Amino acid sequence: MWQGQRSRTVVIGIAFAALFVCCVLPIVYLVATTFGADSDAYTALALDSRQRGLLYNTAFLGVGTALLATAIGTPLGVALARVPLRHQAVIRVIAAVPILLPPYIVALAWIYLGSRRGLLAALTGRDLFSAWTYSPPAAVVVLSLVLYPLSMLATEFAMRRVDGRLEEAAMIVAPPHRVLWRITLPLVAPTILASALITFVLAVSEFGVPGLLRVRVYTTEVFTAFAALYDFSRAIVLAVPLLMVCVVVAATAAGLLGDRLNTARRSAGVSPVAFHDWRRPAGIGFVAVVAAAVALPLLILGREALAARSLGEVVTGSGKAVVRSLFLSALGATLVVALAVWVGYAQARMRRSARLAIQVLLVLLFATPSTIVGIGLIGVWNRPGIAGTLYGTDAMFLLAYLARFVPVAVLILAASVQTVSTSQEEAAAVSGAGWIRTMRGIVLPQMRLGIAAAWVVAFVLAFGELGVSVLVAPPGDATLPIRVYTIIANTPASRVAALALLQALVILAPVAALGATASLRKGQ
Amino acid sequence: MIFHMGRNSCLARLGAVIVYAALFGSACQRTGGREVTAYVSADRPFSEPILKEYERQSGVRVNVVYDTEETKSTGLANRLLAEKARPQADVFWSNEPVRTLVLKSRDVLAPYQSPSADGIPSSLRDAEGYWTGFSARIRVVAYNTNLVKPEEAPKSIFDLADPKWRGQVAIADPRFGSTSFHVAALYAIAGDQKMDDFFRRLKQNGVRVVDGNSVVRDMVVRGEVKVGLTDTDDVNVAVEDGQPIAMVLPDKEGLGVPVMPNMVSLIADAPHPDEGRHLIDYLLSSDVERQLAQSEAVQIPLHGGVQGPKNIPSIDTFKPMTLDYSKAASRVEEVTNRLASILGL
Repeated sequence: MWQGQRSRTVVIGIAFAALFVCCVLPIVYLVATTFGADSDAYTALALDSRQRGLLYNTAFLGVGTALLATAIGTPLGVALARVPLRHQAVIRVIAAVPILLPPYIVALAWIYLGSRRGLLAALTGRDLFSAWTYSPPAAVVVLSLVLYPLSMLATEFAMRRVDGRLEEAAMIVAPPHRVLWRITLPLVAPTILASALITFVLAVSEFGVPGLLRVRVYTTEVFTAFAALYDFSRAIVLAVPLLMVCVVVAATAAGLLGDRLNTARRSAGVSPVAFHDWRRPAGIGFVAVVAAAVALPLLILGREALAARSLGEVVTGSGKAVVRSLFLSALGATLVVALAVWVGYAQARMRRSARLAIQVLLVLLFATPSTIVGIGLIGVWNRPGIAGTLYGTDAMFLLAYLARFVPVAVLILAASVQTVSTSQEEAAAVSGAGWIRTMRGIVLPQMRLGIAAAWVVAFVLAFGELGVSVLVAPPGDATLPIRVYTIIANTPASRVAALALLQALVILAPVAALGATASLRKGQ
Repeated sequence: MIFHMGRNSCLARLGAVIVYAALFGSACQRTGGREVTAYVSADRPFSEPILKEYERQSGVRVNVVYDTEETKSTGLANRLLAEKARPQADVFWSNEPVRTLVLKSRDVLAPYQSPSADGIPSSLRDAEGYWTGFSARIRVVAYNTNLVKPEEAPKSIFDLADPKWRGQVAIADPRFGSTSFHVAALYAIAGDQKMDDFFRRLKQNGVRVVDGNSVVRDMVVRGEVKVGLTDTDDVNVAVEDGQPIAMVLPDKEGLGVPVMPNMVSLIADAPHPDEGRHLIDYLLSSDVERQLAQSEAVQIPLHGGVQGPKNIPSIDTFKPMTLDYSKAASRVEEVTNRLASILGL
C-alpha cells in the first residue's frame, strides 16, 4: 500500500531508533557490562529451590490479579456501555479513580484496616484478619482493586464499537441477554484479553505491594539483590525467570488474540442493545466496588492522618515538589505518546509474526524491574559528551519515563490502530494522498480516544514512578514521590498516612478535572 | 493535538521551548558559583537542617540527593556504584556502616583525614581515612510501657527468644539497613552457631519481621507487639510524641551495646573535591554533633565534651560492643543469605 513512501519509512525508522535508544539500550548495556565469568554461581542461583516458591508466587500474583480485576472490571464496563445509568460520566470517572492511586498507598490502607490492631480489630474486638493481611491472596485483592479500571474501560470502549447491525439482526431471533452473551461478548473478548495481559504485566512487575505485604516474588528478590547485596549480576539473573513468565503469557495471549481485535465501527442510526432492567443491580455493583476500592482506602488513610502532628509544615513544604511532579509527568506523558503512536501504528500494521515478536519485546521491556532500568540509564547517559550534558538534569526524569512507559503506551495504541480499517488507508492512497496526510486526516483522528487513554495512563504511571527516578534524579530537586519516600523514613505512621493521602489527592485533582472537561465538551 | 502541525504550529513551538527548558534549565541553574554535591542516607528530617545551615554559613550551594527508607528503593549506594566511572557526588553521608564499607571495598571512596576528626575515638575511624564516624545511634530494645513493666523488659538481645515473648517481638528485615549491620556484628562477635540457634528460636517464637525500624516502633506503640528491636532515634520520635514506649540498652554487661555511627566519606574522583573536604570538616565538627544530639535524632556525640541528648546515656556510661566494622561488614552477604533461609524471608 505504501510502497515507495519515503516519509513513512523515515518516520517509522526514527521511532524505532528512539525506542531502541530509550527503552532497549539501557537494559542491553547493563546486561552486557555486568555479567562476570562465574557462570557456575549464576547457574546455582537459577536452580535454587527457592526459585520454585518465587515462580509460584509470581504466577499466582499475576494470573490471580488479571482474573480478579477482569472479573470486577468487565461487568462494570458492560454496565457503562449497555445500561442507561444516570450521571454515567460521573460514575465512570469515580469508578476509574483506583487506577490513579499508587498501589503502595492502597496496600498501606489495607494494613491499617486488617492488621492486628487495625480498624477491623478495633470495631469487632477480635483479630480475625491479621493472618490474612500479609499473604499472596491479599496482594491479589489489593492489586485487583487498583487495576480493575483497565478492564472496565477497555470493555466499555470495545462494546461501544460493536456493529449495532449484528446485534439488531440477532435480536430478531433471540432475547437481549442472549445476544449479549452469544454475540457481543465474543466480539469484545479479544480486547478484554488484551487488557488482562496488561494487568498481568503490571501485577508481576509491581514491587511496592508484594514488598509491603511480605509476599516473596521475583521483583522483591531482585530488589533484595540490589539493596541488601549490591550485586547487579545476581539481580539480573533473578529477573530472567520473571521475564520468561511474561514471555510465556504474552505469547499465549497473542496466540489467542490473533487478528481478532474488533475493527468494526458502530453503524449510524442503529441503537445498541440496552438493558434497562439492570439499572438497579448495576448501581449496587458500582457502589460496592467504589466503596471497597476508593472510599475505604481514602477514609482509612484520612483517619490515620488526622493524628499527624506538624502536618501543615510537611504539606506546605511539598508545594514545589507537587508542581514539579505535575509538570514533568505531563511533559513525560506527552513525549511517551508522541513516540508510542508511531511505534504502535507500525506494530499494528506488521505481518502477524513480526507483530507478535514486537509485542513480546514490549511486554519484556515493561516487566523489567525498574532498578535494572535505572542502573542501565546511568550507564548509558552518565558519560562525557552530549549524553553527559543531559545527565544530572531533569532530562533524566523524561528519559526514565520513556524507558518505562513507552512499551505499555505502544500496546494501548497498537490496539487502537487495529480498530482503524486498512481499507480507509488504501482508499486514501488510491486517491493520491501521501502517508503523512493520511495519518493526519484519517488514522490519528480515529485514534483520539486511544491517544487520550495512553496519555492518561502514562501520566499516572509517571507521576507515581519511584524506582527509576530515585536513581537518576538530579541533585537538589525532587518529585513528590521521592520527597514523600525520603521523609517517611523516620516518621510516625500518622504522617506517613497523611503524605500518602496528599500524593493520592494531588494525582486525582488534575485527572478528575480532565475527565470533567471531557464530559462537559461531550455534553455540549 | 500535537500532530495537527498546520493549525497548532505555535503550540508545537511553545512545546519545543518547554522541552528545551526542561532538558537544560536545571543544568544551567547549577553552573557558576561554588557548589558541592552530597548523597545522604541519613534520615532527611535530621540531615536537611544541618546541610542548609552549612549552605548558609559557607555560601556554598549544597546539592543533595536523599535516600529513601531502605526497603522502599535500592538506595544511593547502588547509584554511587553505577556512577563510579564518572562520579556526580562529592561526599557520601551514611547513617550506618554497611553501605560505606561496601563502597570502600568497591573503590568508590577516596581517603581524607579531616582535622575535625581529632577527638573521635580511633575505633570509629578508618585507619586509612576512607570513612570517619560521628554522631552515633544505639540499637535498643523498645517496649510498650502500658503492657510491660520496666523490670520485666528484656535486658539482652537473646531474651527476645524467651517463650514468654512468643508472638510479641518485632524486628526490622535483617537484610537491610541498620539491622543488617547489627546482625552481621552479632555473628562476627558471638559466632555462627550461637546466632543461627538464636534466630531459629526467634522464628519458632513467632517473631514478626517488618519493613523497617520505624514500623517496629509503631507496632510497639500500638501494642501489636510488646517489644521490638530498633534504633534510639526511632524510639525517641515516639517518646517526644507522648507515646507509651521506652527503651532498654541491651547486653550492657555481656556482648556490649551495639553502637552505630554515621559515616562520612569523600568520593573518589569527585567533581568538587576541595568543597567536599570542607563539607566533611563541617559535618565532623563538634557543632554538628551538638545539633544532632539536641534534635529528634538524639544522636550520641563522639567528640568528648559535647553534651549528649536527653533520655540517652552518654557513650562512656555503658560498655559498647567492641567490633571491627570492616570485618562485620564483610560478613553481611553471607549472614543475609543465612537469615533468609532461617527466617524464611
